[in-house]
Amino acid sequence: MEAGAVLEIVRLGLSGVVVAIGLVLIAGGALGLLRFPDLYTRIHAANVADVVGSVVVVLGLVIAAPDWGIAVRLLLLAALFMALGPTLSHLVAQAAHAAGLAPIAGRYAAPRPGATRTGSMS
Amino acid sequence: MTALAAAIGVSIALLLCVVRLFAGPTLYDRTLAMNGVVMKLAVIAAAAAVVTGRAALVDAALAFLLASVVANIAVLKFFRSGTFQAPLTRAEKP
Repeated sequence: MEAGAVLEIVRLGLSGVVVAIGLVLIAGGALGLLRFPDLYTRIHAANVADVVGSVVVVLGLVIAAPDWGIAVRLLLLAALFMALGPTLSHLVAQAAHAAGLAPIAGRYAAPRPGATRTGSMS
Repeated sequence: MTALAAAIGVSIALLLCVVRLFAGPTLYDRTLAMNGVVMKLAVIAAAAAVVTGRAALVDAALAFLLASVVANIAVLKFFRSGTFQAPLTRAEKP
């Protein structure tokens, strides 16, 4: 077996491992988005686990990419994910808090004056 | 092969996000779920680019992501101020 074929097998195996790690993270994020009780906890699940999982999956696809043009564009996509995911989660959380959506905070529940469970929507 | 597995796995997560998109009790849950759906569509487009070897699909993924930012800001800004043209000055207190 020549060196090129061995390198190809190692490359595909490495990309498979990285993609599998990212898929586990994405599954956790989606499950949290579905099952958590509150908007703020859902933001925590969706935009921590999900963004990291998406970046890891895209990096695994970079390793498996057939040519350099696709690999460089996928790196740009991963950089955009890292930049825009936290920005969007901050936007949603800040808008919900400004509209008066109260978090479920366990023993330390301290809703703002006029806060509602559904937001003021105005 | 790995890209196909990635596309299938991310599609399952996308279905869970769609459930939250239709079941979300508040507007902000739906916005968050929409954000998740578009991000997963971008990952699926990137995986399809690696499967088919066409670089234009990665450009489609980038467009998905940037359009998701614009849509989020539009929805949140509209429901915060009630209009797309919010005044730049605060309303005077009578």
